[in-house]
This record gives sequence, structure tokens and C-alpha cells, in this order.
Amino acid sequence: MISVFFEYSFLTYSLYTAIMVGLIAPLLGVFLVVRRLSLISDALSHITLSGIAFSLLLGKHFILFANLNPIYMGMIFSVGGAIFIERLRNVYRYYKELAIPIILSAGIGIGVVFISLADGFNTDLFSYLFGSVVVIRYSDFQLISVITILVLILFFLFYKEWFYLSFDEDQATVSGIPKKILHFIFIVMVALVIAASMRIVGILLVSSLMTLPVAAAMRWAKGFKQMFFYAIIFGELSVIIGLVSSFHLDLFPGGTIVLLNVLILLFSILLTNKR
Amino acid sequence: MELLQQLTFLERGIIAGLIIGCICPLIGAFLLVRRITIISEALSHITLTGITAGMFLSQSIALFSFLNPLYAGLFFSLIGSLLVEKLRQIYKHFQELAIPIILSSGIGLSAILMSLTSGSYNQWYNYLFGSIITVSLSDLLFIIITGLIALLMIGGFYKELLSISFDQEFAKVTGVSVTRFNFFFSLLIAIVISMSMKVVGILLVGAMVTLPVAASIQLAKSFKQVIFLGILFGELAMIIGIILSYYLDIATGGMIVVTGVFILLITSGIKKITASLRSKI
Repeated sequence: MISVFFEYSFLTYSLYTAIMVGLIAPLLGVFLVVRRLSLISDALSHITLSGIAFSLLLGKHFILFANLNPIYMGMIFSVGGAIFIERLRNVYRYYKELAIPIILSAGIGIGVVFISLADGFNTDLFSYLFGSVVVIRYSDFQLISVITILVLILFFLFYKEWFYLSFDEDQATVSGIPKKILHFIFIVMVALVIAASMRIVGILLVSSLMTLPVAAAMRWAKGFKQMFFYAIIFGELSVIIGLVSSFHLDLFPGGTIVLLNVLILLFSILLTNKR
Repeated sequence: MELLQQLTFLERGIIAGLIIGCICPLIGAFLLVRRITIISEALSHITLTGITAGMFLSQSIALFSFLNPLYAGLFFSLIGSLLVEKLRQIYKHFQELAIPIILSSGIGLSAILMSLTSGSYNQWYNYLFGSIITVSLSDLLFIIITGLIALLMIGGFYKELLSISFDQEFAKVTGVSVTRFNFFFSLLIAIVISMSMKVVGILLVGAMVTLPVAASIQLAKSFKQVIFLGILFGELAMIIGIILSYYLDIATGGMIVVTGVFILLITSGIKKITASLRSKI
């Protein structure tokens, strides 16, 4: 089943990419869920769509941009969106939770307008929305490897600080941890991971790879470290099985990966309910 | 009925748009004060699963071939709203997890159903991003009927909904059955989402619910004003969006949402100006 993935280079790349994504997405997802920010990944992934669409539009009109990987513009937009969410939280002081739906819907809306302008309603767009097994090129693979290494380094560097911030924000701020900067680095990392995962899982489904394995891990784990362990195992399982089966069954990989995650989650809830 | 049949496809789309532009912000105002605007995103994504499931069934089983996928969408969005409540109980300490779980499983399932159904990509794009020219007569009927039901539901139980939204404890004490009305409310959201979907598109329904009230709360001084201004902004976004999308040949849903974003930007600009004027005096 899996051997075919080593026969063609583009399949090998997508398998390796998927393995990397299955590692870093749940890794950050644990912090996202514990800090009650799980919805931010949805907002950022939707704004990534506007970035991709903008890049497609530019590529249509300027030759300079035609060869540019749309992932970069997606990354810029998603980091921009992250900053904007923080600003909106200040605008709506009494309704802070409004920031996320506003960014989410604005992101999709603007994305749709750009796509329309670029005449981009074709098969290509579908692979952006729901992922694809065959679109990973060597350049994507390189970029995603760099992102993975960067995320892993930052993660181990700031693990203690984030851990502290997640569980006792007041205490952490009092003891002199630069909360704002750390939060910003974290959000930028989330934006990067979304951009990295997007090609395989699809924009609409990236966020589920960050939340669903963690939601399942929560049912099993007895400690914070265990949660990472379970989340990554569930993430990798779903990504690898999902990718291979989507190739053989001719389905969108995003769909199969998320469905596997949902199944894992359902089993986790059912099995742990009895205990 | 005959009057409806005489309408051109464009008129049908515009009428549908106007109804949606009124009802979406109306329900949005209640969602806003209950701090659960995001639920509209989750339910709209699960409605997509319903639509794709409806399409899949109508293609593979002859019995369902005449079924308008909108009904399947309504059904799924109802189930989704009940599941959200259920998940909130399972994850007692992380209640906000319920929404992303439903949202992503909805989209994931529909991605699979989409690849199983033989449909052109354009057809899916219409559902995802909305299109006013594909509003058929039966769609319009669906929108009118569900719109009327939603209006009746809100009008008939306005006081109860209001008291639940602002103060659940108080509502409980005064004898309003909170669980029953929460269910009633979920039903209402499910109806509104499945009716708006055809014109604005599944991915953008949430925007129609959120953006107009987000703009109106900047200026409004009371809940009634939030509703009133919200409807006004909603209709404005609809009309301008539809007209622009028609002349510029851009997907309708996208244009409506971008207009909504502009209205939001303008209102927050107005708010800033009035605030700075007031501080000078």
C-alpha cells in the first residue's frame, strides 16, 4: 500500500511533508487548546485563503509574481491577520470573542473576491481548499522542512515560558515573563504551521489537525507532557493513514485525515467514558 | 405562487437576498449578546455536509432524486446544533472546543462526500461561495417559508429569548424553561443558516450573521438599536453587494461580505471621530 509512495518522488515528498505536519500541528495545538485559543487557527487559516487568492491574482497580472509560491503570500496574510485579531480585541473591549468571527468571515469574503477577479474558480482552488496528495513540489518540501525545524527550535526554547503562561498567566506576568512578545511569537508560529500544513490538508481543514488530535489526547492523558505524546501519535496516525488511503481511494486527503481524526476522537470519548 | 413564478432569475435572487439580509442580523444580535456568534460558523460548515450528503443520496438512490439538498442541509445543521450542546457537556472544562470539533468534522465529511459525488466543481463553488443567479423557484419558496417561520419564532418569543440571552439565571427564576429555549434557539439558528446558504454561500453565512451586528454595536445605544441598525447594515451590504457583483462579475457572497467589512470599517471610523469630538468638548 505505502510502497507506491516511495516509487514517485512527488509522492515521497508529500509523505514526508505529511509526517512533518502531523508532528508540528498537534504540538502547537496543545498550547492552543490549553490557552483556549483553538478558534484562532480557524480564523488564521481562512485569512490564509485570501493571501493565496491575492497571490493568484497578482500572478495573473504581473509576471514577477507568476512564479512565486502562493504559500508565501498566504503566510504574510495569516501573520497580518494574527496582528489584526489582537487589534480588534482592543476595539471590541466588551465583546472580545467577536474578533475571530470577523476575521474569519472577512478572510473568506476577501479571498472569494480575489479568486473571482483572477478567474480562479477551477480545480486548482479545490486542492487549496481540501488538500491534495500530488501538489507537493520540492520547493514546498524545502519550505515546510525549514518551517518545521524553526517551529521545533522555538518550541523547545520557549516551552517553559509558554507552559507557565498557559496555566497561570498572572503569576507568569508578575515573575517577569514578557507576555506580549511570547504571545506574538506563538501566534506567528501558528500562522507558519497553517501555511505549512495547507497544501496537504487544505485550508478549510488545517485547523482540525491542530484541535482534533488534542481533543482526543485530552481524554487519555494524565499529565501535560502525556498530552503532547498522545496528540502527536494521533496526529501522525491520522495523517499517514489518511494520506495513503486518500491516494488509493481517490478522495481529498484533507477529508480522510479529518475523518480519521474524528473517528479517533469518537473512540476516545466512548472508551474513556466508561472509566 | 403565480406571482413568484413570473419572477426572473435575478429578481428571485434579489428577493431572497433581501429576506436574508433582514433575518441574519436579527438572529446575529441575539448571538452577539450571548457571545456565541462563532456557532454560526460551526453550523454553516455542518450544513455543507448536509448539502453534500443530500447530493450524494439524490445521485445514488432514486427515492431521494427529487430532494432539494437544502432540506438535508437543514437537517444536518439541526443535528450539529444538538451535537455542540452535547460536546459542551463532554468537555466541561474546555467548552469552547465543541465548536472547532463540529466545524472541522463538518468540513472533513463534506470533502469526502464531495469527492464521492460526481458533480462539477462549479456547482460546489456555488454552494460554497453563493450565487444569486442559481436561486430556483423551490429555493425561493424554501427561503420565504423558513424566513417566515424564523420571524414568527423570534416575534412570538421575543421576551423569552431576550431574557435568556441577557441573564440566564434571571430567566430561570422567572420561570422560562432555559433548556427548552436553548433548543428552540438552536433550531432557529439552524433554520437561518440553511436558508441563507444558497445566496451568500456556506462559507460566508457566518459573515452575514456577524458583520452587520458587529458594525451596529459600535453605534447603537440599546439592544433594539443593535437589531435595527444591524438589519439596516445587513440590507445595505446585500443590496450593494448584489449590484456590484452583478456588474463586476464577481462571486456574490464575496462581494456581499466585502461590503459588510467596509460598513464595519466605516462605523468604527465614525465611532472614533465622535469619541474624539466628545473628548475635546
